Amino acid sequence: MDIITVRDLDVGYGGRPVLSGLSFAVPSGRITVIVGESGSGKSTLLKTLIGLLPPLRGEIRLDGGRIDFDSERELAGLYRRIGVLFQNNALLESLTLDQNVALPIWMHHRDWPAEKAAERARIMLGRVGLAGHGAKYPFELSGGMRKRAALARAMVLEPGLVFCDEPTAGLDPITAAGLDELLTELRTVHGVTFVVVTHELRSIARIADRLLLLRGGRLQFDGEYTEAAASADPYLQAFFLRKAAS
Amino acid sequence: MHPVVQIKTFASLLADEIYYTFSFLRHRRGVMRGEIFHQLYAMGYRSAPIVCLITFLIGITISLTSAAQLKMFGADIYLADLIGIAMINELVPLMSGIMLAGKIGASITAEISTMKVMDEIDALTTMGLTPVRFLMVPRLIAITLAVPMLVALADFVGIAGGAIVARTVLGIPIPVFAGQVLSAVDLSDFLTGLGKTLVFGWAVVVAAGYKAFTMERGAESVGKATTESVVLSIALIIGLDCLFAFVLY
Repeated sequence: MDIITVRDLDVGYGGRPVLSGLSFAVPSGRITVIVGESGSGKSTLLKTLIGLLPPLRGEIRLDGGRIDFDSERELAGLYRRIGVLFQNNALLESLTLDQNVALPIWMHHRDWPAEKAAERARIMLGRVGLAGHGAKYPFELSGGMRKRAALARAMVLEPGLVFCDEPTAGLDPITAAGLDELLTELRTVHGVTFVVVTHELRSIARIADRLLLLRGGRLQFDGEYTEAAASADPYLQAFFLRKAAS
Repeated sequence: MHPVVQIKTFASLLADEIYYTFSFLRHRRGVMRGEIFHQLYAMGYRSAPIVCLITFLIGITISLTSAAQLKMFGADIYLADLIGIAMINELVPLMSGIMLAGKIGASITAEISTMKVMDEIDALTTMGLTPVRFLMVPRLIAITLAVPMLVALADFVGIAGGAIVARTVLGIPIPVFAGQVLSAVDLSDFLTGLGKTLVFGWAVVVAAGYKAFTMERGAESVGKATTESVVLSIALIIGLDCLFAFVLY
Protein backbone atom coordinates (compact mmCIF):
# COMPACT_ATOMS: atom_id res chain seq x y z
CA MET A 1 0.00 0.00 0.00
CA ASP A 2 1.24 3.48 -0.85
CA ILE A 3 1.33 6.11 1.87
CA ILE A 4 2.11 8.97 -0.55
CA THR A 5 1.07 9.30 -4.17
CA VAL A 6 2.28 12.18 -6.28
CA ARG A 7 0.77 13.07 -9.65
CA ASP A 8 1.99 15.52 -12.29
CA LEU A 9 3.80 17.55 -9.67
CA ASP A 10 5.73 20.71 -10.52
CA VAL A 11 7.74 22.24 -7.69
CA GLY A 12 9.87 25.38 -7.64
CA TYR A 13 10.22 28.93 -6.44
CA GLY A 14 8.56 32.15 -7.60
CA GLY A 15 6.52 30.36 -10.27
CA ARG A 16 9.65 28.89 -11.88
CA PRO A 17 9.69 25.07 -11.72
CA VAL A 18 12.78 23.27 -10.48
CA LEU A 19 11.16 19.88 -11.04
CA SER A 20 8.31 19.15 -13.45
CA GLY A 21 5.86 16.38 -14.16
CA LEU A 22 6.76 14.18 -11.19
CA SER A 23 4.55 11.15 -10.60
CA PHE A 24 5.54 8.52 -8.10
CA ALA A 25 4.38 6.65 -5.03
CA VAL A 26 5.97 6.00 -1.65
CA PRO A 27 5.15 2.53 -0.33
CA SER A 28 4.23 2.13 3.31
CA GLY A 29 6.68 0.51 5.73
CA ARG A 30 9.69 0.91 3.46
CA ILE A 31 12.57 3.33 3.00
CA THR A 32 12.39 5.41 -0.17
CA VAL A 33 15.54 7.33 -0.96
CA ILE A 34 15.54 10.42 -3.15
CA VAL A 35 18.87 10.92 -4.87
CA GLY A 36 20.32 13.25 -7.44
CA GLU A 37 23.21 15.56 -8.11
CA SER A 38 23.60 18.79 -6.15
CA GLY A 39 21.00 21.27 -7.39
CA SER A 40 18.79 18.55 -8.84
CA GLY A 41 15.89 19.65 -6.63
CA LYS A 42 15.94 16.96 -3.93
CA SER A 43 15.52 19.43 -1.07
CA THR A 44 12.92 21.44 -3.01
CA LEU A 45 10.87 18.27 -3.50
CA LEU A 46 11.26 17.41 0.18
CA LYS A 47 10.10 20.90 1.19
CA THR A 48 6.95 20.39 -0.86
CA LEU A 49 6.33 16.91 0.52
CA ILE A 50 6.54 18.22 4.10
CA GLY A 51 4.20 21.11 3.38
CA LEU A 52 6.67 24.00 3.53
CA LEU A 53 6.56 24.86 -0.19
CA PRO A 54 3.25 24.73 -2.08
CA PRO A 55 3.48 22.90 -5.41
CA LEU A 56 3.19 24.91 -8.61
CA ARG A 57 1.00 22.21 -10.16
CA GLY A 58 -0.18 18.69 -9.53
CA GLU A 59 -1.28 16.90 -6.40
CA ILE A 60 0.09 15.03 -3.41
CA ARG A 61 -2.04 12.46 -1.61
CA LEU A 62 -1.27 11.22 1.87
CA ASP A 63 -3.07 7.96 2.70
CA GLY A 64 -5.33 8.66 -0.27
CA GLY A 65 -6.37 12.16 0.88
CA ARG A 66 -5.34 15.12 -1.25
CA ILE A 67 -3.26 17.71 0.64
CA ASP A 68 -4.68 21.21 0.23
CA PHE A 69 -1.72 23.56 0.68
CA ASP A 70 -4.04 26.58 0.98
CA SER A 71 -5.76 25.21 4.05
CA GLU A 72 -4.02 25.81 7.39
CA ARG A 73 -6.19 23.14 8.97
CA GLU A 74 -5.11 20.55 6.40
CA LEU A 75 -1.47 21.45 6.82
CA ALA A 76 -1.88 21.15 10.58
CA GLY A 77 -3.34 17.69 9.95
CA LEU A 78 -0.36 16.84 7.76
CA TYR A 79 2.08 17.94 10.47
CA ARG A 80 0.35 15.67 12.98
CA ARG A 81 0.94 12.70 10.71
CA ILE A 82 4.55 13.22 9.68
CA GLY A 83 7.91 13.67 11.35
CA VAL A 84 10.86 15.53 9.85
CA LEU A 85 14.55 15.13 10.51
CA PHE A 86 16.31 18.21 9.14
CA GLN A 87 19.85 18.27 7.79
CA ASN A 88 20.94 20.66 10.55
CA ASN A 89 19.02 18.67 13.19
CA ALA A 90 17.03 21.83 13.99
CA LEU A 91 17.01 21.10 17.70
CA LEU A 92 16.14 24.22 19.68
CA GLU A 93 19.40 25.16 21.39
CA SER A 94 17.68 26.80 24.36
CA LEU A 95 15.82 23.61 25.31
CA THR A 96 17.07 20.35 26.80
CA LEU A 97 16.69 17.12 24.81
CA ASP A 98 13.67 16.14 26.92
CA GLN A 99 12.03 19.49 26.15
CA ASN A 100 12.97 19.32 22.46
CA VAL A 101 11.52 15.85 22.07
CA ALA A 102 8.39 16.73 24.03
CA LEU A 103 7.72 19.84 21.93
CA PRO A 104 5.43 18.15 19.36
CA ILE A 105 3.50 16.48 22.23
CA TRP A 106 3.10 19.85 23.90
CA MET A 107 1.69 21.20 20.63
CA HIS A 108 -0.60 18.33 19.66
CA HIS A 109 -1.61 16.80 23.00
CA ARG A 110 -2.20 19.76 25.31
CA ASP A 111 -4.39 17.64 27.54
CA TRP A 112 -1.54 15.26 28.39
CA PRO A 113 -0.13 15.62 31.89
CA ALA A 114 3.49 16.81 31.94
CA GLU A 115 4.65 13.47 33.39
CA LYS A 116 3.08 11.53 30.52
CA ALA A 117 4.74 13.79 27.93
CA ALA A 118 8.08 13.53 29.71
CA GLU A 119 7.75 9.74 29.88
CA ARG A 120 7.04 9.55 26.13
CA ALA A 121 10.04 11.77 25.44
CA ARG A 122 12.22 9.50 27.57
CA ILE A 123 10.94 6.41 25.74
CA MET A 124 11.74 7.96 22.37
CA LEU A 125 15.20 9.02 23.49
CA GLY A 126 15.76 5.46 24.69
CA ARG A 127 14.60 4.09 21.35
CA VAL A 128 17.30 6.08 19.53
CA GLY A 129 19.97 5.15 22.06
CA LEU A 130 19.97 8.37 24.08
CA ALA A 131 18.51 7.12 27.36
CA GLY A 132 19.85 9.18 30.24
CA HIS A 133 20.80 12.17 28.07
CA GLY A 134 17.46 13.99 28.33
CA ALA A 135 18.71 16.72 30.65
CA LYS A 136 21.48 17.73 28.28
CA TYR A 137 21.33 20.66 25.88
CA PRO A 138 21.98 20.11 22.16
CA PHE A 139 25.34 21.91 22.32
CA GLU A 140 26.56 19.29 24.79
CA LEU A 141 26.11 16.48 22.25
CA SER A 142 28.14 15.07 19.37
CA GLY A 143 26.88 15.33 15.78
CA GLY A 144 25.60 11.76 15.78
CA MET A 145 23.79 12.19 19.09
CA ARG A 146 22.16 15.37 17.84
CA LYS A 147 20.89 13.52 14.77
CA ARG A 148 19.49 10.77 16.99
CA ALA A 149 17.82 13.31 19.25
CA ALA A 150 16.29 15.05 16.23
CA LEU A 151 15.05 11.65 15.02
CA ALA A 152 13.49 11.01 18.43
CA ARG A 153 11.67 14.34 18.18
CA ALA A 154 10.54 13.54 14.62
CA MET A 155 9.09 10.23 15.84
CA VAL A 156 7.69 11.21 19.21
CA LEU A 157 4.10 11.38 17.92
CA GLU A 158 4.67 7.98 16.27
CA PRO A 159 3.80 9.47 12.90
CA GLY A 160 4.29 6.42 10.68
CA LEU A 161 5.94 8.58 8.01
CA VAL A 162 9.25 10.31 8.63
CA PHE A 163 11.17 12.51 6.20
CA CYS A 164 14.93 12.78 6.59
CA ASP A 165 17.05 15.39 4.85
CA GLU A 166 20.67 14.20 4.52
CA PRO A 167 20.58 12.31 7.83
CA THR A 168 24.21 11.18 7.66
CA ALA A 169 25.72 14.37 6.23
CA GLY A 170 28.74 15.50 8.21
CA LEU A 171 28.96 12.31 10.27
CA ASP A 172 31.97 10.00 10.42
CA PRO A 173 31.47 6.60 8.68
CA ILE A 174 30.93 4.66 11.90
CA THR A 175 28.36 7.09 13.30
CA ALA A 176 26.67 7.27 9.87
CA ALA A 177 26.45 3.46 9.74
CA GLY A 178 24.93 3.45 13.23
CA LEU A 179 22.29 5.95 12.19
CA ASP A 180 21.49 3.94 9.05
CA GLU A 181 21.12 0.86 11.20
CA LEU A 182 18.73 2.75 13.44
CA LEU A 183 16.57 3.80 10.47
CA THR A 184 16.35 0.24 9.14
CA GLU A 185 15.56 -1.04 12.64
CA LEU A 186 12.78 1.51 13.08
CA ARG A 187 11.38 0.48 9.71
CA THR A 188 11.57 -3.24 10.44
CA VAL A 189 10.55 -3.27 14.11
CA HIS A 190 8.12 -0.35 14.26
CA GLY A 191 6.95 -0.29 10.63
CA VAL A 192 7.92 3.36 10.10
CA THR A 193 7.97 4.61 6.52
CA PHE A 194 10.98 6.77 5.70
CA VAL A 195 11.58 9.17 2.83
CA VAL A 196 15.26 10.00 2.87
CA VAL A 197 17.08 12.60 0.80
CA THR A 198 20.75 11.79 0.54
CA HIS A 199 23.65 11.39 -1.83
CA GLU A 200 25.79 9.27 0.48
CA LEU A 201 26.25 6.12 -1.60
CA ARG A 202 27.14 3.90 1.35
CA SER A 203 24.03 5.04 3.17
CA ILE A 204 21.88 4.45 0.11
CA ALA A 205 23.22 0.90 -0.19
CA ARG A 206 22.48 0.25 3.49
CA ILE A 207 18.98 1.67 3.82
CA ALA A 208 17.27 2.04 0.43
CA ASP A 209 14.34 -0.17 -0.47
CA ARG A 210 13.17 2.09 -3.26
CA LEU A 211 14.98 4.79 -5.17
CA LEU A 212 13.85 8.00 -6.86
CA LEU A 213 16.56 9.57 -8.99
CA LEU A 214 16.13 13.21 -10.01
CA ARG A 215 17.97 14.63 -12.99
CA GLY A 216 17.52 17.65 -15.22
CA GLY A 217 14.28 18.70 -13.53
CA ARG A 218 12.63 15.30 -14.09
CA LEU A 219 12.31 11.96 -12.36
CA GLN A 220 14.86 9.81 -14.15
CA PHE A 221 14.36 6.57 -12.21
CA ASP A 222 11.63 5.25 -9.93
CA GLY A 223 11.99 1.68 -8.75
CA GLU A 224 13.61 -0.80 -6.39
CA TYR A 225 17.11 -0.04 -5.22
CA THR A 226 18.38 -3.44 -6.36
CA GLU A 227 16.99 -2.72 -9.81
CA ALA A 228 18.77 0.64 -9.91
CA ALA A 229 22.07 -0.77 -8.70
CA ALA A 230 21.99 -3.46 -11.40
CA SER A 231 20.73 -1.14 -14.14
CA ALA A 232 22.57 -0.86 -17.43
CA ASP A 233 21.52 2.79 -17.70
CA PRO A 234 24.81 4.74 -18.21
CA TYR A 235 23.75 7.56 -15.90
CA LEU A 236 22.72 5.21 -13.10
CA GLN A 237 25.97 3.30 -13.49
CA ALA A 238 27.93 6.54 -13.41
CA PHE A 239 26.01 7.63 -10.31
CA PHE A 240 26.65 4.45 -8.38
CA LEU A 241 30.25 4.12 -9.55
CA ARG A 242 30.86 7.81 -8.69
CA LYS A 243 31.99 8.69 -12.19
CA ALA A 244 31.38 12.01 -13.89
CA ALA A 245 28.25 11.63 -16.01
CA SER A 246 28.50 12.39 -19.71
CA MET B 1 12.66 43.43 -1.92
CA HIS B 2 10.60 46.30 -3.30
CA PRO B 3 9.80 48.94 -0.62
CA VAL B 4 6.05 48.46 -1.06
CA VAL B 5 6.45 44.71 -0.55
CA GLN B 6 8.60 45.40 2.51
CA ILE B 7 5.95 47.66 4.02
CA LYS B 8 3.24 45.08 3.28
CA THR B 9 5.33 42.31 4.85
CA PHE B 10 6.06 44.45 7.91
CA ALA B 11 2.38 45.34 8.31
CA SER B 12 1.37 41.71 7.88
CA LEU B 13 3.86 40.54 10.51
CA LEU B 14 2.75 43.30 12.87
CA ALA B 15 -0.90 42.29 12.40
CA ASP B 16 0.00 38.63 13.06
CA GLU B 17 1.90 39.56 16.21
CA ILE B 18 -0.96 41.68 17.55
CA TYR B 19 -3.48 38.94 16.76
CA TYR B 20 -1.37 36.16 18.31
CA THR B 21 -0.62 38.23 21.40
CA PHE B 22 -4.29 38.91 22.11
CA SER B 23 -5.12 35.33 21.22
CA PHE B 24 -2.51 34.14 23.75
CA LEU B 25 -3.84 36.49 26.41
CA ARG B 26 -7.32 35.00 25.91
CA HIS B 27 -6.49 31.30 25.49
CA ARG B 28 -3.00 30.94 27.01
CA ARG B 29 -1.89 28.75 24.08
CA GLY B 30 1.02 28.56 21.67
CA VAL B 31 3.77 29.82 23.98
CA MET B 32 6.06 27.61 26.05
CA ARG B 33 5.65 27.71 29.78
CA GLY B 34 8.39 29.78 31.40
CA GLU B 35 9.40 31.45 28.15
CA ILE B 36 7.91 34.84 29.09
CA PHE B 37 9.88 34.86 32.36
CA HIS B 38 13.01 33.80 30.49
CA GLN B 39 12.57 36.74 28.10
CA LEU B 40 11.65 39.09 30.94
CA TYR B 41 14.89 38.19 32.68
CA ALA B 42 16.88 38.88 29.49
CA MET B 43 15.06 42.08 28.59
CA GLY B 44 14.48 43.56 32.01
CA TYR B 45 17.04 42.36 34.51
CA ARG B 46 19.96 42.10 32.09
CA SER B 47 19.21 45.41 30.35
CA ALA B 48 18.71 47.41 33.51
CA PRO B 49 22.40 48.06 34.33
CA ILE B 50 23.29 49.50 30.91
CA VAL B 51 20.09 51.55 30.67
CA CYS B 52 20.73 52.96 34.16
CA LEU B 53 24.38 53.72 33.42
CA ILE B 54 23.56 55.58 30.21
CA THR B 55 20.73 57.62 31.71
CA PHE B 56 22.86 58.42 34.78
CA LEU B 57 25.66 59.74 32.54
CA ILE B 58 23.17 61.69 30.45
CA GLY B 59 21.69 63.19 33.60
CA ILE B 60 25.17 64.36 34.63
CA THR B 61 26.06 65.67 31.16
CA ILE B 62 22.83 67.62 30.66
CA SER B 63 23.11 69.08 34.17
CA LEU B 64 26.71 70.18 33.68
CA THR B 65 26.02 71.87 30.35
CA SER B 66 22.86 73.56 31.62
CA ALA B 67 24.14 74.55 35.07
CA ALA B 68 26.65 77.04 33.69
CA GLN B 69 24.00 78.81 31.61
CA LEU B 70 21.39 78.88 34.38
CA LYS B 71 23.92 80.20 36.88
CA MET B 72 24.59 83.23 34.65
CA PHE B 73 20.91 84.20 34.99
CA GLY B 74 20.68 83.27 38.67
CA ALA B 75 18.20 80.58 37.81
CA ASP B 76 20.13 77.72 39.41
CA ILE B 77 17.10 76.07 40.97
CA TYR B 78 15.45 75.66 37.59
CA LEU B 79 18.06 73.02 36.79
CA ALA B 80 15.78 70.63 38.69
CA ASP B 81 12.81 71.53 36.47
CA LEU B 82 14.91 71.13 33.34
CA ILE B 83 16.34 67.77 34.36
CA GLY B 84 13.03 66.40 35.60
CA ILE B 85 11.06 67.36 32.53
CA ALA B 86 13.81 66.48 30.02
CA MET B 87 14.61 63.11 31.56
CA ILE B 88 11.07 61.93 32.16
CA ASN B 89 9.48 63.20 28.95
CA GLU B 90 12.22 62.82 26.43
CA LEU B 91 15.66 61.54 27.33
CA VAL B 92 14.76 58.39 29.23
CA PRO B 93 12.26 57.17 26.59
CA LEU B 94 14.63 57.99 23.72
CA MET B 95 17.80 56.60 25.27
CA SER B 96 16.04 53.53 26.67
CA GLY B 97 14.60 52.87 23.22
CA ILE B 98 18.00 53.18 21.59
CA MET B 99 19.61 50.95 24.22
CA LEU B 100 16.86 48.37 23.74
CA ALA B 101 17.45 48.49 19.98
CA GLY B 102 21.15 47.80 20.45
CA LYS B 103 20.78 45.15 23.12
CA ILE B 104 17.39 43.46 22.79
CA GLY B 105 16.67 44.09 19.10
CA ALA B 106 20.06 42.84 17.95
CA SER B 107 19.80 39.79 20.19
CA ILE B 108 16.30 38.88 18.94
CA THR B 109 17.32 39.19 15.29
CA ALA B 110 20.54 37.25 15.76
CA GLU B 111 18.76 34.46 17.64
CA ILE B 112 15.80 34.06 15.29
CA SER B 113 17.82 34.43 12.08
CA THR B 114 20.28 31.80 13.33
CA MET B 115 17.30 29.55 14.01
CA LYS B 116 16.21 30.17 10.44
CA VAL B 117 19.63 29.25 9.05
CA MET B 118 19.67 26.08 11.21
CA ASP B 119 16.19 25.03 9.92
CA GLU B 120 14.70 25.49 13.40
CA ILE B 121 11.94 27.74 12.06
CA ASP B 122 10.98 25.11 9.47
CA ALA B 123 11.14 22.48 12.21
CA LEU B 124 8.70 24.49 14.35
CA THR B 125 6.34 24.72 11.38
CA THR B 126 6.48 20.98 10.69
CA MET B 127 5.76 20.32 14.36
CA GLY B 128 2.55 22.29 13.90
CA LEU B 129 3.76 25.36 15.78
CA THR B 130 3.40 28.88 14.40
CA PRO B 131 6.90 30.39 14.58
CA VAL B 132 5.68 34.01 14.82
CA ARG B 133 3.40 33.10 17.72
CA PHE B 134 5.89 30.78 19.41
CA LEU B 135 8.83 33.20 19.21
CA MET B 136 7.39 36.71 19.13
CA VAL B 137 4.52 36.62 21.60
CA PRO B 138 6.74 35.91 24.66
CA ARG B 139 9.09 38.69 23.59
CA LEU B 140 6.27 41.21 23.09
CA ILE B 141 4.74 40.38 26.45
CA ALA B 142 8.15 40.46 28.15
CA ILE B 143 9.03 43.88 26.72
CA THR B 144 5.63 45.17 27.86
CA LEU B 145 6.36 44.02 31.41
CA ALA B 146 10.02 45.06 31.40
CA VAL B 147 9.61 48.63 30.13
CA PRO B 148 7.74 50.12 33.15
CA MET B 149 10.42 48.75 35.45
CA LEU B 150 13.21 50.08 33.23
CA VAL B 151 11.56 53.48 32.86
CA ALA B 152 11.05 53.92 36.60
CA LEU B 153 14.66 52.94 37.28
CA ALA B 154 16.06 55.09 34.49
CA ASP B 155 13.98 58.13 35.53
CA PHE B 156 15.26 57.83 39.07
CA VAL B 157 18.89 57.28 38.11
CA GLY B 158 18.91 60.03 35.45
CA ILE B 159 17.46 62.57 37.88
CA ALA B 160 19.92 61.36 40.52
CA GLY B 161 22.75 62.20 38.08
CA GLY B 162 21.34 65.71 37.78
CA ALA B 163 20.95 66.01 41.55
CA ILE B 164 24.61 65.13 42.13
CA VAL B 165 25.71 67.86 39.71
CA ALA B 166 23.29 70.35 41.28
CA ARG B 167 24.74 69.56 44.71
CA THR B 168 28.41 69.67 43.71
CA VAL B 169 28.42 72.46 41.12
CA LEU B 170 25.55 74.72 42.20
CA GLY B 171 25.40 73.78 45.88
CA ILE B 172 21.68 72.93 45.74
CA PRO B 173 20.84 70.47 48.54
CA ILE B 174 19.47 67.18 47.26
CA PRO B 175 16.11 67.45 49.19
CA VAL B 176 15.55 70.90 47.66
CA PHE B 177 16.41 69.58 44.18
CA ALA B 178 14.06 66.63 44.69
CA GLY B 179 11.25 68.89 45.90
CA GLN B 180 11.68 71.16 42.87
CA VAL B 181 11.60 68.15 40.49
CA LEU B 182 8.40 66.89 42.10
CA SER B 183 6.78 70.31 41.73
CA ALA B 184 7.81 70.51 38.04
CA VAL B 185 6.61 67.10 36.92
CA ASP B 186 3.47 65.13 37.65
CA LEU B 187 2.08 61.66 37.04
CA SER B 188 1.01 62.53 33.51
CA ASP B 189 4.65 63.29 32.61
CA PHE B 190 5.71 59.90 33.95
CA LEU B 191 2.90 58.15 32.09
CA THR B 192 3.77 60.00 28.88
CA GLY B 193 7.38 58.86 29.14
CA LEU B 194 6.29 55.35 30.00
CA GLY B 195 3.87 55.22 27.06
CA LYS B 196 6.52 56.47 24.66
CA THR B 197 9.07 53.93 25.90
CA LEU B 198 6.53 51.12 25.59
CA VAL B 199 5.85 52.06 21.99
CA PHE B 200 9.61 52.26 21.30
CA GLY B 201 10.08 48.84 22.93
CA TRP B 202 7.34 47.28 20.80
CA ALA B 203 8.88 48.92 17.71
CA VAL B 204 12.25 47.37 18.57
CA VAL B 205 10.80 43.87 19.03
CA VAL B 206 8.64 44.04 15.91
CA ALA B 207 11.49 45.43 13.77
CA ALA B 208 13.85 42.74 15.09
CA GLY B 209 11.34 40.01 14.28
CA TYR B 210 10.68 41.47 10.84
CA LYS B 211 14.37 41.51 9.94
CA ALA B 212 14.87 37.98 11.27
CA PHE B 213 11.87 36.37 9.58
CA THR B 214 12.49 38.05 6.21
CA MET B 215 16.25 37.51 6.00
CA GLU B 216 17.71 35.44 3.19
CA ARG B 217 19.30 32.17 4.19
CA GLY B 218 23.03 32.03 4.73
CA ALA B 219 25.38 32.54 7.65
CA GLU B 220 26.49 35.98 6.43
CA SER B 221 22.85 37.09 6.34
CA VAL B 222 22.62 36.78 10.13
CA GLY B 223 25.10 39.64 10.66
CA LYS B 224 23.47 41.71 7.95
CA ALA B 225 19.98 41.18 9.35
CA THR B 226 21.17 42.04 12.87
CA THR B 227 22.76 45.30 11.75
CA GLU B 228 19.70 46.21 9.70
CA SER B 229 17.47 45.43 12.63
CA VAL B 230 19.30 47.92 14.86
CA VAL B 231 19.24 50.60 12.15
CA LEU B 232 15.54 50.03 11.46
CA SER B 233 14.72 50.09 15.18
CA ILE B 234 16.55 53.38 15.76
CA ALA B 235 14.95 54.92 12.66
CA LEU B 236 11.52 53.82 13.90
CA ILE B 237 12.22 55.20 17.38
CA ILE B 238 13.30 58.60 16.06
CA GLY B 239 10.37 58.72 13.65
CA LEU B 240 7.86 57.77 16.35
CA ASP B 241 9.42 60.26 18.77
CA CYS B 242 8.97 62.99 16.21
CA LEU B 243 5.37 61.92 15.78
CA PHE B 244 4.85 62.01 19.55
CA ALA B 245 6.32 65.52 19.66
CA PHE B 246 3.76 66.69 17.10
CA VAL B 247 0.89 65.03 18.92
CA LEU B 248 1.84 65.88 22.51
CA TYR B 249 3.30 69.36 22.31
